[in-house]
Amino acid sequence: MKKRDIILTIISISVLILFLMFANSRFDSYQIRILNLCAIYTILGLSMNLINGFTGLFSLGHAGFMAIGAYVTALLTMPAAVKNQNFFLQPIVPWLENVTVPFLPALLIGGIMAAILAFIIGAPVLRLRGDYLAIATLGFSEIIRIVFTNTQNITNGALGLKSIPNTTNLWWSFGLAALTIIFMLSLINSSYGKALKAIREDEIAAESMGIGLFRHKMLAFVIGAFFAGVGGGLLGNLLGAINPVMFRFILTFNVLLIIVLGGMGSITGTVISAFVVTSGLEYLRVLDESINLGFVRLPGIPGLRMVVFSSLLMIVVIFFRNGLMGTNEFSWDGLFALLRKRPSFLKREVGR
Amino acid sequence: MSFSLFMQHLTNGISLGSLYALIAIGYTMVYGILRLINFAHGEIFMMSLYFAFYGVAIFAMPWYVSFIVTVIITCMLGMLVERAAYKTLRDSPRITVMVSAIGASFFLQNLAVVLFGGRPKAFPTVQIFTDVIKIGTVSLQRLTLIIPVATIMLLYSLLYLVNKTKTGMAMRAVSKDHETARLMGVDVNRTITITFGIGSILAAFGGIMWGMKFPQIQPFMGVMPGLKCFIAAVIGGVGNIYGAVIGGFILGIGEIMLVAMLPQLTGYRDAFAFVLLIVILLLKPTGIMGEKISEKV
Amino acid sequence: MELLNTSNITMKFGGLTAVKELNLEINKGEIVALIGPNGAGKTTAFNMITGVYAPTSGRIFLGESDITGAKPHLITKKGLARTFQNIRLFKELSVLDNVFIANHLHLKSNIFEAVLHLPRYKKEKKSILEKSLFLLEKLDLLSFKEDKAKNLPYGMQRRLEIARALATNPQILLLDEPAAGMNPRETDNLTSFIKDIRDEFELTIFLIEHHMSVVMGISDRIYVLDHGVTIAVGNPYEIQNDQRVIEAYLGVSEDA
Repeated sequence: MKKRDIILTIISISVLILFLMFANSRFDSYQIRILNLCAIYTILGLSMNLINGFTGLFSLGHAGFMAIGAYVTALLTMPAAVKNQNFFLQPIVPWLENVTVPFLPALLIGGIMAAILAFIIGAPVLRLRGDYLAIATLGFSEIIRIVFTNTQNITNGALGLKSIPNTTNLWWSFGLAALTIIFMLSLINSSYGKALKAIREDEIAAESMGIGLFRHKMLAFVIGAFFAGVGGGLLGNLLGAINPVMFRFILTFNVLLIIVLGGMGSITGTVISAFVVTSGLEYLRVLDESINLGFVRLPGIPGLRMVVFSSLLMIVVIFFRNGLMGTNEFSWDGLFALLRKRPSFLKREVGR
Repeated sequence: MSFSLFMQHLTNGISLGSLYALIAIGYTMVYGILRLINFAHGEIFMMSLYFAFYGVAIFAMPWYVSFIVTVIITCMLGMLVERAAYKTLRDSPRITVMVSAIGASFFLQNLAVVLFGGRPKAFPTVQIFTDVIKIGTVSLQRLTLIIPVATIMLLYSLLYLVNKTKTGMAMRAVSKDHETARLMGVDVNRTITITFGIGSILAAFGGIMWGMKFPQIQPFMGVMPGLKCFIAAVIGGVGNIYGAVIGGFILGIGEIMLVAMLPQLTGYRDAFAFVLLIVILLLKPTGIMGEKISEKV
Repeated sequence: MELLNTSNITMKFGGLTAVKELNLEINKGEIVALIGPNGAGKTTAFNMITGVYAPTSGRIFLGESDITGAKPHLITKKGLARTFQNIRLFKELSVLDNVFIANHLHLKSNIFEAVLHLPRYKKEKKSILEKSLFLLEKLDLLSFKEDKAKNLPYGMQRRLEIARALATNPQILLLDEPAAGMNPRETDNLTSFIKDIRDEFELTIFLIEHHMSVVMGISDRIYVLDHGVTIAVGNPYEIQNDQRVIEAYLGVSEDA
């Protein structure tokens, strides 16, 4: 890296930290929550992009991995008293009752459990291609959800878990998002990352170049699931309450949306898109609520938010097929080139 | 389990299986011709129920008029979805088209919430279908017998259309190879649109009968049947009409029997289809009737 | 010394026998061609050898080891690399990455070493990079190393495919119609190019080709397939004067 770039990077990171400190003390809890969600969706988006964007596997099982992470983290961080309050229909199994671990190990265990599950699921599923893989992973994610609805003495069934400790804060979510970004960048630029991209480009050619398809697909799938689990854990401990309905297919779809809009195969795109989509989805809530124009009150139309959102998605997919960034990444050089290009472009416009 | 109870479950399973089969055909036809899952098919099915509901309950049409209108409007909706979400992306990577299709599906779901409200509505009952009759010791709704018969009739008309008419020939040609079909003078885009239309007609018939059997409708009701019916199509061998029918029956009868035999698994009823899917994909990835398609190197 | 040996390999697709009892013997350092009219089963033979298809019957040996039905990536690891009839580059990736990726199979570092940039990975990465650049230079592609593979002109794409195959450190290289789509001058260059890389990298080369000028110009020996059956084996002179080969290409009365 050039000296200039290092300095610029350090400056941007400091600005971000200052911003977070400011946000932490000045923003109201709703705004902080949105910021947290943005960071968490960055992690989720990156993990899905590794599987779908970089490796080219069409996996739709993300909600399942998130559910595992969320439940494991929640159950491991809840004190015994809270657990007993929650499990009033059927007592919690004894081996879970008194286990309470700190947040970080709980998150990691959540991620590892998701990864282990991905490994077990991947063994049969990753031999499938395209749509079959999509439907099979979607199926597994639904099975996880249905199992969680029915294991009353472990997950509290359909009632879900409430009063989960609100451990997730800006430092946790942004810290882990930053680590995820660094990890993904490093992975993607390594020989392994290039091998994954080769699989995306052409499976048959990749295999002929000595890349074991199954092993490498599994690698992407398991790592992706790990980060999905961590993201799920952060999400559960941010919201404070989880239940199986939360982890329906729509959750996977939201993450898919982020990576498609940002550009499948671009880390930068995913990060930007995670922030835009998450805050956009929050601000579009206006559409579902009633609007007071002073002289007239427009009633809110429930569902309109998602109608607008899904039409936006389709428009983007149809007209901007490569998303925001395509497979390109941010670089300081690229930014400067862009900045230089703009003025000259403007000048030409004026001159005409 | 007594014989009459068993027969009761079996007839239930057969009629549920028939409904799955009707919807599964729509998936299989679109997959056969485009090699894509029509993610919006479950939502087209859901919309058909609302059309029928509005016809009878709001516009006070006689049920048969309402049902005919429903079939026509649903067919048009299916073709519209194809024009909007698929045609524009004909040469795009499959993943893009899939995302667009999922987008269309969410759009329709939420459009239904906006237009019809999120609360469940009661589907109108039509006496002659829902009357309970008794055959020996087995008592069942007349509908339970009508559904399989109607399904078989629809299936035969479909097979006639696919195998004996010019449109059917065009559909078969396009499913083999778009480019060659085009060179032979087949209007590929028109054929694809028609395929969506036919799939939607079957979904509408399925929807109407579904509504009479399970008379509660809400905007997200298409999701589960949609997924299950795609699974039925995969189990039977996607792209194959007979396969979809077989898969539909396996799924419908299996689901009902599972709950009947092992009531403690009732909560896992919806998981049955997914487990079956994964088992089939492992044992015979191309399904029961499917042919192996491998990429040319 | 024999490097590649197939004994009675047969491939059936349903009722159709695409290749019937093919017996190849390719010696170290040879350039051997496989020719035959369209649909004779040449690419199917390639696909069996490279592991894309498992033969219906028969066995394939690479050196001492039996590679029948092995996965393509394991066969490549054993020292057999290939190119494709309809170029299969990693289109969206850079020219350099295309070659870099072909070194991945020999990487010893595990994924954690790679992600964390530990010393062993750093060292390996450096040597892979050097080797990739060397190969690109050898094949006159160095100045395009940052371009996307899909943006190269056709002839260079073919060369890049060869460079990529070479990066896997093969003992034997299988070329599927290397001259397809080339003009006569390019075809002439190709002949000497193939000989050059054979000498430079101590390769054995087995190729499918339709351009007879190329085939006759470089082959030590030629196998001729027709409708899946081996109808002739011999040096270029023998093949050119073989009655059955001439019939297969020009057709006999019942066929025409």
